[in-house]
Amino acid sequence: MFRHALVFSTCVFVLGGCATQTRYVDPAADDGPVAMTMDYRDFETAATAAVEDMLASGSVSNPNGGRYIMVVSRITNDTMQRIDTDQLTKKIRVSLLRSGKVVTTTAVGLNGAEDEMSMRARELRDSAEFDQSGVQKIGTLQAPDLSLSGKILQRNHKVGKEQQVEYYIQLSLTDLASGLAFWEGETPIIKRGSNASVSW
Amino acid sequence: MKVALYPGLLLLVLILTGCASQPETNPLVERQELKVDPEVMYVLTVTEIFEERLAQPGGDSLLQIQFAVQAHTDTPLAWQVTWFDASGMRIKGVGDGYRRQSLLTGQTRYFKATAPHSRVTSYQLHLREPQ
Repeated sequence: MFRHALVFSTCVFVLGGCATQTRYVDPAADDGPVAMTMDYRDFETAATAAVEDMLASGSVSNPNGGRYIMVVSRITNDTMQRIDTDQLTKKIRVSLLRSGKVVTTTAVGLNGAEDEMSMRARELRDSAEFDQSGVQKIGTLQAPDLSLSGKILQRNHKVGKEQQVEYYIQLSLTDLASGLAFWEGETPIIKRGSNASVSW
Repeated sequence: MKVALYPGLLLLVLILTGCASQPETNPLVERQELKVDPEVMYVLTVTEIFEERLAQPGGDSLLQIQFAVQAHTDTPLAWQVTWFDASGMRIKGVGDGYRRQSLLTGQTRYFKATAPHSRVTSYQLHLREPQ
């Protein structure tokens, strides 16, 4: 009995010692292996390329001064992966906001407002329970000037004994007054790796 | 009485001004605009580095840099630009990571980076070999 317990605990210690330790990854100093799927570095690459190009082109700089108001429209995920496209758009929104040139509205969206509280807070109007001096007045919400839309595409190819996965991140910034795309960009992300790797 | 008060007041203002905390603008070690790791220095040459301010329709301007590297051998390269305002404080860019590129022997490639804010006045470009 004692011998069994000893063998069992030795096995646990040996296997425990072999297990890879969980560790933090610093995004600013990550030289880790590359995955065939889209990871945070790919979103960062695409967002950096898009924001720098938007800023350099001057398309997000309001000639009348002040900031443009942007709304995030549809970003289609046409890949084999389950991607939350907010991973991409949030980086773009945050960077444009920090640039002091663009502010994003959360009061309007294709599938309803991103933050429904803008409208809910207005339902307090004329309620005797609320001090009306703090309730939002009529006509204070700001309509968007620009709309960000796009698509993420994936194409898989066999290249010899390897597979090649191509991702294309396509974005458009539309001027809502004219319906014209003031800025457009495409960031290709190409990965080549083992056939055994899974890209979905 | 009034005449005696003025020098006293002036002295007080001077003392208070001297006590006020001033922003630290002098780095302990002079920051290099271009930092190239030794491992990379053997395999490529930075042939040029330009900077210009891009005029914006709103009236302000953004710092943009362009640099060129010529590879002596096939090599991977990682680069990153860190942006600073006039006080030397870092201005956060879109991402924190290094941008990875691949260079072919004899190839000269040009890379551009645009500052994330009009407050940016200087930068540091770091070239390194990805692991």
